[in-house]
Amino acid sequence: MTGRAEFIARIRREVSKTPGLFGASTAPRPADPATAAETVRRELAERWPEALERFRTEFERIAGVFHRVPDLAAVPAAIGAIARGYGAKSLVTWDPTALGFDAAPALTREGLDVVAARAGQEDEAARLRHREQAARAQVGVTGADFVLAETGTLILLSGSGRPRSTSLLPDVHVAVFGRDRLLETLEQVGVMLEALHVSPDHAMSGAMINFITGPSRTADIELTLTRGVHGPKEVHAVFVEAP
Amino acid sequence: MSDALLRTPFPERAGAALKDTFLQEALKIATTKFIDLRKESFAGFPQGEALRDRARAIKEATLQHLDVHLERLADNVERLGGHVHWATTAEEAREMVLRLCRDRGVRMAVKSKSMATEEIDLNEALEHAGVAPVETDLGEYIIQLAHEKPSHIIAPAIHKTKGQVAELFSRELRGEFPADPEILTAVARKALREKFLQADMGITGANFAVADTGTVVLVTNEGNGRMVTSLPRIHVALMGVEKVIPSMTDLVVFLAILARSATGQKLSSYTTLVRGPRWAGELEGPEEFHLILLDNGRSRQIASTLREALYCLRCGACLNVCPVYRQIGGHAYGYTYPGPIGILLTAMLKGNESVRELAHASSLCGACKDVCPVRIDIPRMLVELREHLDREKIAPWTERVVFKAFRRLLLSPTAFRLSAAIGRWAQRPFVRNGRLRGLPLVFGQWTKTRDLPPVAARTFRERWKELR
Repeated sequence: MTGRAEFIARIRREVSKTPGLFGASTAPRPADPATAAETVRRELAERWPEALERFRTEFERIAGVFHRVPDLAAVPAAIGAIARGYGAKSLVTWDPTALGFDAAPALTREGLDVVAARAGQEDEAARLRHREQAARAQVGVTGADFVLAETGTLILLSGSGRPRSTSLLPDVHVAVFGRDRLLETLEQVGVMLEALHVSPDHAMSGAMINFITGPSRTADIELTLTRGVHGPKEVHAVFVEAP
Repeated sequence: MSDALLRTPFPERAGAALKDTFLQEALKIATTKFIDLRKESFAGFPQGEALRDRARAIKEATLQHLDVHLERLADNVERLGGHVHWATTAEEAREMVLRLCRDRGVRMAVKSKSMATEEIDLNEALEHAGVAPVETDLGEYIIQLAHEKPSHIIAPAIHKTKGQVAELFSRELRGEFPADPEILTAVARKALREKFLQADMGITGANFAVADTGTVVLVTNEGNGRMVTSLPRIHVALMGVEKVIPSMTDLVVFLAILARSATGQKLSSYTTLVRGPRWAGELEGPEEFHLILLDNGRSRQIASTLREALYCLRCGACLNVCPVYRQIGGHAYGYTYPGPIGILLTAMLKGNESVRELAHASSLCGACKDVCPVRIDIPRMLVELREHLDREKIAPWTERVVFKAFRRLLLSPTAFRLSAAIGRWAQRPFVRNGRLRGLPLVFGQWTKTRDLPPVAARTFRERWKELR
């Protein structure tokens, strides 16, 4: 087996043989990512209505379903309607603390079976139990850490109380977010990812970041577009107006 | 690719593909559709051209300090609790995966589409070792069940009809399934869902790896990449060393052009960023993360002819526009990577000898260079490759002798004039409808598949003399 030192030495030897094809540089990184991220957020605080409109257009173009509710109190009813529309009986959600609301009481009253992930329960038994629940549930409810208008993309960080499978295993994924999550361009996402990496809160999140751009899709059989091959068949975005 | 297939000379493999009427139709529809989707996507994206320049510059700049970026990547992956392995050869990479399987008692591994694992023939090695590899990309799953190989980098099963897939699923998965893509997709979803939940190991490639943060990036449409990195207890990612990029700022540049080039999407359905094994406080995710960095002939090219091929993002755009690929499809090339870029990658991984025929499977029209998201100059490298083949005496002797003679002729005005005069006389029996056909001796190699314009009644030099 090759060791690291030997492997790198070979690469270094080859690299030093040539000055390269042309003078080139990588993309300029923000000098102070935290400040750059703050600037983006300040700009978006003004422009969010345009960003939201753009998001809606792009999201619907890729078969996403957009919903708008006045405040958090209206969210459970919106989720209930989506679940009924799909004929779903059971839901899994992120931890209510991670979501910022608790939909379980209202949805349970409607006769739906709701399981919420709980931060702080991460042993093997909890892991297996949750996986089974998520695999059985027809609807998964999450938040969204960034919402990218340019491409209609929901960006989710995994972490405590934010299992990866909630937006993956159920047939229907519902993401709930407010105006402070909106971004306009991929470039701004780059700034946020740089900032995230140096932020002290970084350790709070998890090992996975997912960009979700519409439902799971394939065109592998005779190029026929088919939705829901492994991941969700439907993706819903619920925008909460109240800041 | 099977040795039996490679023992057939390339012209015969290509000939067989040309006679396959279904393949011809499928290739025409698929490549035309991909071309249109790409064109449409870039048409509404004016900043695309500048982003392509930037992406190209990032690849070149990274290559100029590849050692530094790889060390940085490795340090950060280890800081996150992952393990980094260094594989000089395909065999070493296979052995690393097998040893992990043995040590951890792995019985089944689910795989997300990865050209790098195809390149090292990982599936065969796993099967030999008693580990069941399950391809989970729908196209890859189809061809794995059919015991075939991918025919397109991003659409591996474009050579199969829905009828063939229905037959295959009915036989392999025991059922009666109609030739309906929607139903067949649902069948695969159900079969593979069980595998995702049972597998001990998830194996992926990497579209990018960000050195700054130790992040491996996977781009998929089906969600299988998320499954294999979220559910099994071990995640192994195998990547060529050239996939490393410096920062997240660089990453978003590539994301903006990759899906557009491949399928015409603004972004693929899923872009998954993996930062080592699951973190403290996370309920799900693998407990172990292994990153295998694969050289397999790549470093040899950093200071050599095929350097630029190391920029390749594996988007498949150059396949779709290539007049040769569009006619013969991926299988006829005979190796893991088909199409114009595939010829270069094959030479890189398997040596120049392996492409003595394939180096000529290009009209040098330049369409590949035009659509390449990082503007790789494929035609230039193909010409250089042909020159190498000649110099290393790998090309057939007839070809070398003819071109040597031709060179002499062009270097001497007297010889050139004389040859025109001789040619005008000697060509007479072979001119039909104003074209030269069916030449004898070694010249017949050329006219077997092409024709030539005859030597003119009065050459340009002769007319020029009078005009003066």
